[in-house]
Amino acid sequence: MSDWTDDQILAMLRRALEAADPVPETARRAARAAFTWRSIDAELAKLVYDSAEEDVAGVRGTETARQVAFRAPGVEVEVMVTHSGGRRIVGQLVPPQTARIELQTPEGNQLTGTDTLGRFSFDDVPSGPARMVVRGDDVVVVTEIVVI
Amino acid sequence: MSEDSVAELLVRAAEGDRRAWDAIVSRYERLVWSVVRGFPFDDGTRHDVFQTVWLRLVEHCGRIREPERLAGWLATTARNEAIRALQQRRREVPSEFRFDLPDRVNPEAADVLIEGESERAVFRAFAELPEDCRHLLRLVCADPPLDYRTIAELVGRPVGSIGPTFGRCIKRMRQIMERHRGLKPSNGGSR
Repeated sequence: MSDWTDDQILAMLRRALEAADPVPETARRAARAAFTWRSIDAELAKLVYDSAEEDVAGVRGTETARQVAFRAPGVEVEVMVTHSGGRRIVGQLVPPQTARIELQTPEGNQLTGTDTLGRFSFDDVPSGPARMVVRGDDVVVVTEIVVI
Repeated sequence: MSEDSVAELLVRAAEGDRRAWDAIVSRYERLVWSVVRGFPFDDGTRHDVFQTVWLRLVEHCGRIREPERLAGWLATTARNEAIRALQQRRREVPSEFRFDLPDRVNPEAADVLIEGESERAVFRAFAELPEDCRHLLRLVCADPPLDYRTIAELVGRPVGSIGPTFGRCIKRMRQIMERHRGLKPSNGGSR
């Protein structure tokens, strides 16, 4: 036992961990299913602002609204995520324009339309990774993934 | 089947080849899991973090600049997502309701799952190590392997400290194994 080399010990530990702490089947399935989020033919709207990344230290307690903004050439998607009761997203396209907005989450997608000012909302949003696909008259945009 | 290069798999996955994607997942899922395991999450959060890493890879599939460094990219992304999840919980859960789940390992349950007496002995010693040693050893024996530079980033310590810390942890593990061996009832005892 004491003449095992470090490498031998690590190899045994690797086998032990694989057996005792395997990647759960649900997690594996989720990883495989992630493929369905492969880029659709759309412009990527990059995350340009996330209030959640501002308050790394210091701010304690629970702020109620998180603000997130994405930018693609020609359009910006600004949203607010609130979680009093269920999670809710309210957002707006800038400049104002009408579009269909799809919220994609691993648990399923929700579809809505904007009003004439480009405003939209989603209720009962599950926590976890999400992104939005914006289909307007002359733009199709997909936002970066955010975890909400 | 010969091993396709990572670069090739990434290109094929970006073009829509599901089998290439599945191959990437099975090659690297263990590595991502090893990183995420080092954080004090409940099962649900751990699942979310793990899943988000793969969604981000899908998002970036065609744009990974150095495919040969995919292991490092995945490990770093996993760590970033884990830290983000910790911060989110800090924001959303008032501190009096918040507690970190210890990274528990249950050697008795593991004994049933692990094949091989030596592997069981190694794991029993591992289970007694302090959390920082367990985290480090998980990363050091990750497969595919991570270089020390990436490991240093993952544990937030200088590269130069990884070797010595690893040395200390594995020495400790050897001591525990010796002690366990001393405690074992001598051979031939009646039951």
